[in-house]
Amino acid sequence: MTTTSAAPSRRPRSRAPLTGRQRFANFSYRATPYVYISPFFILFAVVGLFPLVYTAYVSLHEWSLVGGDAGWNGLDNYASVLGDRKFWIALRNSVSIFLLSSVPQIIFALLIASALDTNLRAKTFWRMGVLLPYVVAPVAVALIFGQLFADQFGAINNLLGTFGIPPVRWHVDPLSSHVAIATMVNFRWTGYNSLVLLAAMQAIPRDYYEAAVIDGAGRIRQFLSVTIPGIRPTLIFVIITSTIGGLQIFDEPRLYDQFGQGGSDSQWLTLTLYLYNLGWDRFDFGKASAVAWLLFLVIAIFGLINLLLSRRISTEGTR
Amino acid sequence: MTTGPAPIPLLSPAQAARNRRRRMRRLTVAQRKPGILGYAFLGVVLLLSILPLYWSLLVASGDSTSARDPNLSWIPGVHFIENAYAAMTNPAVNFWKALGNSLLVSTTVSASVVFFSTLAGYAFAKLKFKGRGPLLVFIVATMAVPTQLGVVPLYLLMAQYGWIDTMQAIIVPALVNAFGVFWMTQYVQQAIPDEIIEAARVDGASSFRSFWSIALPIARPAATMLALFTFVATWTNFFWPFIVLTPQNPTLPVALSLLQANYFVDYSVVLAGTLVATVPLIILFVVAGKQLVSGIMQGAVKA
Amino acid sequence: MRTTLRARTALGIATITGVALIASGCASGGDNTGDEGGEITLTIASFNDFGYTDELLAEYTAENPNVKIVHNRAATSNDARANFFQKLGAGSGLADVEAIEVDWLPEMMQYSNKLYDLSDPAVDGRWLDWKAAAATDADGRLVGYGTDIGPEAICYRSDLFAEAGLPTDRAEVAAYLEGDWDRYFEVGHEYVAKTGKAWYDSAGATYQGMSNQFSNFYEKNDGTIIATENADVEKTFRTVLEESADLSAKLGQWSDDWFGALSTGGYATMLCPGWMLGVISGNAADTTGWDIADVFPGGGGNWGGSYLTVPAQGKHTEEAKKFAAWLTAPEQQIKAFQNAGTFPSQVAAYDDSALTGAVNEYFNNAPVGEILINRANAVDPTPPFKGPNYFKINDAAQQALTRVEEGQQSIDESWAQFVSEVEALG
Repeated sequence: MTTTSAAPSRRPRSRAPLTGRQRFANFSYRATPYVYISPFFILFAVVGLFPLVYTAYVSLHEWSLVGGDAGWNGLDNYASVLGDRKFWIALRNSVSIFLLSSVPQIIFALLIASALDTNLRAKTFWRMGVLLPYVVAPVAVALIFGQLFADQFGAINNLLGTFGIPPVRWHVDPLSSHVAIATMVNFRWTGYNSLVLLAAMQAIPRDYYEAAVIDGAGRIRQFLSVTIPGIRPTLIFVIITSTIGGLQIFDEPRLYDQFGQGGSDSQWLTLTLYLYNLGWDRFDFGKASAVAWLLFLVIAIFGLINLLLSRRISTEGTR
Repeated sequence: MTTGPAPIPLLSPAQAARNRRRRMRRLTVAQRKPGILGYAFLGVVLLLSILPLYWSLLVASGDSTSARDPNLSWIPGVHFIENAYAAMTNPAVNFWKALGNSLLVSTTVSASVVFFSTLAGYAFAKLKFKGRGPLLVFIVATMAVPTQLGVVPLYLLMAQYGWIDTMQAIIVPALVNAFGVFWMTQYVQQAIPDEIIEAARVDGASSFRSFWSIALPIARPAATMLALFTFVATWTNFFWPFIVLTPQNPTLPVALSLLQANYFVDYSVVLAGTLVATVPLIILFVVAGKQLVSGIMQGAVKA
Repeated sequence: MRTTLRARTALGIATITGVALIASGCASGGDNTGDEGGEITLTIASFNDFGYTDELLAEYTAENPNVKIVHNRAATSNDARANFFQKLGAGSGLADVEAIEVDWLPEMMQYSNKLYDLSDPAVDGRWLDWKAAAATDADGRLVGYGTDIGPEAICYRSDLFAEAGLPTDRAEVAAYLEGDWDRYFEVGHEYVAKTGKAWYDSAGATYQGMSNQFSNFYEKNDGTIIATENADVEKTFRTVLEESADLSAKLGQWSDDWFGALSTGGYATMLCPGWMLGVISGNAADTTGWDIADVFPGGGGNWGGSYLTVPAQGKHTEEAKKFAAWLTAPEQQIKAFQNAGTFPSQVAAYDDSALTGAVNEYFNNAPVGEILINRANAVDPTPPFKGPNYFKINDAAQQALTRVEEGQQSIDESWAQFVSEVEALG
């Protein structure tokens, strides 16, 4: 497509004094842009910003889903959440599942992207192929993988058995359950992210590679010193979005077994699932709101760490 | 006038240079030849993408013991229709209602997101007003805000309006989003020459008319992609619908979650239901997968 | 090329939109609950299986032609509970008649003012005293009509008993097991020693049966939590887990493997409230050998049972009350029992030959009516106190038991964690 913008128009404009009608036209001309962008701001204020701020208010009250506001109780909700062992387990699980899903996912996405970033036959076929899992809803993924990872005679354990590996207790051991849940996330998002990275790779000028080849760099060396630096901004973008999403994971742990409580010992209870259980199973909106704010804090901290790390990487990169 | 040929663009030197770079880039995309290893690796990836779905088809076409069968045949059984029927007629699940709701919600939200995003994107890209830059930055910044954490007050809000268990509760909060506005701004900026808009204005077209009859048609490719992504995202959304809807009036993901929450769970039925619920998106994928791919790749370049 | 793709996409979207409009039209068409020409629609929400078949409900509409009934069935009691409280809080959206289970009745009684008063001279004395008393609030308003109760017997696999050389006839089994819990465990060890297979399904279910025989297990009558200091709780907890080391199949109730073992013989006995009969026969239809013995360790016990309530937010509260009263009348409850094994809480039903003569073919033609009436009579007439925190504490206890059964924690560790969780509740 032709992507150009024109130089300013040179048509002469009339300088006659404005009539009332023109003045109105002028006003509406100025107001129009604000009208056009207002839907987003109104909606964001009502269903985004206001609830977030109001969550803080609710978190300082004793508040039941059924009975409503039962009065101010200061920081009691926070104290009780922070004193609850389940909160800390949920924090551990969220971080663990997030790491298990984002680190391998980005590595695999990079590998797939660089495999796609070649002169393939049937390019579109391969690209569509890796994207297929993206259209399967997380709920469906969770139902399918929940069965693949069944403890007794599940398909994966059966497969392991044929190699003489004893069955893994996917629904009992915390780390195993995290691996299973992270696998669901990876299944759905790896292909998507490899296309994102592929696009970035294709924007790297070919002569960089040529220069590297002249310097005697092999494939791996090229990948590390040309490809990776070339896609750095995109890579940082992928990492940050997967942080924000990964720490709020809910669908997969909720449906990992039929009870939805995160396991008999909260093995795969995540913070969002904990929030849900407090709010809509225990009907304690006060505590649920406290968890929401704490989770907000956790995400902010991880976001900050990401930002600092990526800043350092990018300054090192530019040298 | 909108149908006339586009005016010959007058390029500024900087723009011309940028375009040259762009063309270069296109020529210099790495033309490395993929080895047999590359194909093999991608083949394995493709297999892993399909295998879980195929396995669930095997189970869904078997009986209640299939999910645990170590010697499950690689050829689908004959009970798929029967199992799918059992899932769809389970009175606790309301499958048909869920399908209707999901289609309604996903199409409405997609249409609305496209309309409002294009409108706002048009304003940001082509109209001049005070605060344009900061406001756009603000919108982009909101993408990093985990608004999902405001569910408690949002739920209270919905209860206030009597919207619990209604589709409004899903549709209204999703009418427009930051990503859509940003995406359309980017596209409109580069796809529509300023002077067309200016010319239309001088010709006396109202602002909305030039939006409707000039900007909207030109923005169609980007709008289609935005619609597709919004459709998929809305169709697969679970957290909020699960909170605000009930088993009597669910969307498909909520209904699917109910298939498993049963005293006795026959997983061949659960997985049959899961597959049936995934079919509409698979169809969408077959029809428009190419658009999804290029949408992801274009979005990424800009991000 | 480009255009064709775009056209195909547009076509796809158009098709989907069309289908959506049609489908949503259908969906909202079926949703019509408005009054038309004096006709009203009553919705009733139940869960699992109350035995309310379409035929049974049709009897009511035949008698009341102006009424149309819509029956929504949630899969599990947990789903129903979440739905009930969420909509009770929201102030709208509940069915005209809502079924609730005894386990979350105490939680609900906190909000009895949100429920319609069902007191009526016409239904005085219809239920066992304790059944009606539990659903009467401090102001004397009766907010729930009793449906069923869960008098417990022992279900057993006569074929597995035979293998182990135990008696198989249900009267002999009852005599053999007669006694307290220690006797039940003793016979269990005998069975395990002979067969190497498990005696009962899970520590959780057994603990449930034992705990229901104490009048104040977790809470005092004023609601004070005593779960951590009450020696009975810790003793029951430890006893069950120690015995379960070899007696339990360690299959969590309602888990897939638990259902599977109903057929495969993973365990030989199960504590069996009336409504469990339907669960067994429904999920192990091809298995022969299940039988039921007129005995229960430590006397009698009640597990579960439900009520029908009428939320005050409904539009047709008076009509709904009338419908609930009809549905919980002895005649209808007996039909429900025949459909799903839900044993009546209505006194008059116990003299009805339809109940006393009831025989269950699946359980080797056991006279289940007679057996369950005996088991109901053995239940302590002052039921165990279950306050607003019962559901949460018991949930924590059940998870603690599971942790030990899954081998994640020792009994001591698990108990310590349970204590800290209960303390966090207070």
